Amino acid sequence: MDEFKSGFFVGGEACEGRVLVVDDEPDIRRVVKMTLQKAGYEVLEAENGEKAIETINAGENRLLLDVVICDIRMPKINGAEAIAYFRSHYPRVPLIVLTGFPDTDMATSFLRQGVVDYLVKPVEGEKLRSAVARAIEQRELARL
Amino acid sequence: MESSDHTKVAILGAGRGGHALLELLHHIPSIEIVGIADRNPAAPGLERARELQIPVSANVQGLIGNHGVSLILDVTGDPEMETYLHAHKLPTVNILSGSASRLLLKLILHESKLEAELLQSEKLAGIGSFASGIAHDINNPLQLILGLAENIAVERDLTTVHEQARDIIEAVKRTSTICRDLTRYSRLASPREDMLVPVNEKLDEALKIARYASSFHDIEMIKQYQPGAAVKGNPDELLHVLVNLITNAVHAMERVGGTLTIETALHDQQIDVRISDTGCGIAPDTMHEIFEPFFTTKPPGKGTGLGLYNVKTIVDKMHGTIAVDSQIDKGTTFTLTFPDTEPSGQGCLS
Repeated sequence: MDEFKSGFFVGGEACEGRVLVVDDEPDIRRVVKMTLQKAGYEVLEAENGEKAIETINAGENRLLLDVVICDIRMPKINGAEAIAYFRSHYPRVPLIVLTGFPDTDMATSFLRQGVVDYLVKPVEGEKLRSAVARAIEQRELARL
Repeated sequence: MESSDHTKVAILGAGRGGHALLELLHHIPSIEIVGIADRNPAAPGLERARELQIPVSANVQGLIGNHGVSLILDVTGDPEMETYLHAHKLPTVNILSGSASRLLLKLILHESKLEAELLQSEKLAGIGSFASGIAHDINNPLQLILGLAENIAVERDLTTVHEQARDIIEAVKRTSTICRDLTRYSRLASPREDMLVPVNEKLDEALKIARYASSFHDIEMIKQYQPGAAVKGNPDELLHVLVNLITNAVHAMERVGGTLTIETALHDQQIDVRISDTGCGIAPDTMHEIFEPFFTTKPPGKGTGLGLYNVKTIVDKMHGTIAVDSQIDKGTTFTLTFPDTEPSGQGCLS
């Protein structure tokens, strides 16, 4: 099992935003990171809900995190619990669910809780990038 | 005088019919098999009778003259035997022979077919609950494959292309084992004769299957295997038993986590297979019902209520026993004990 890596990686010269990827599978974090870095995002990783909460509470992430992409089926604090935490503590950070198990009821419930997108693996890079861009755009609009 | 609910039975004929009768009747507490006879010393029922410590004889006269016998089951199919029995039996003894014994045999074979179908339908119903686990295990590698392939399509660095292509190949291989494991598990248990089954391997196989049925997140696993432990039985059916017990153990720790301990041990010339959890435990007032058909504590649609019933049926068939030790909120231990497979007392495969 990969250790959780904290720290930042600046993917492009002009940073499009800072994204936290929460998934227990290192493979998923790897490809999501690769896909988003190419589009100029800074990508942080967390291997479960607990690490994700630690990450968002760490230093400048409180203020600078732009999007969280979160799996559902994970150890420790699972995706649903992490999402509930993010919604109550960081309501301004848009959340995208990226799950391996499509479930309509669950999707509806997450969208009701304010999750901006519900993506089912495998998701194409283009779709993922546009979901992230859309989420950031909505966040910017909400700030106005 | 015999009590009305206790029957002493002699079986004549130890071929397929006699063997099937033995298998069925020796489970029934109110029936005592006082002996079995066959002219052919190699008849399969005779060997089984010796295993069950039921007297075996080549002498029909001696057996039917046994004063305790109240019922003779003649499955020799030999018309002369029928005549002989009617001429020589004691007046208090009843005889089931000819077409009546064939009918009995058909009913028994029908029941064993129904039992196999029941096992299979419970197994298939269980597989329905694997959907989320399977989706997880297939869609994650697919995400990796898709992401890497998209990158390869535009990647200029040849070393990276080669490395990522190799990762794709590995991911495809991992994914293909899922289908292999599941098709092997879902097929109808092969009707082959009992064989020596390496229990530790079956436990590992069961763990792989059980992962689809339940989330192993937050579960610590301890394995303590007696090297080479083996039991006699049908490997497909034993796998079914182990998947059921492991799945139940993990469900008992759902959401709170805990420790799953899987052990095999040799003691007093017996093989123990022990599956313990530190989960919610079984309420004492339901303990006597857990092996009853259609008993379940799971919500509707989650459990068939046939899991432990089938576990018990299979373990009985393997001449094993099940012991359950459970405490509310402390956990549950299921111990399966099987007869040693080797008279030498090694009980292990080399």
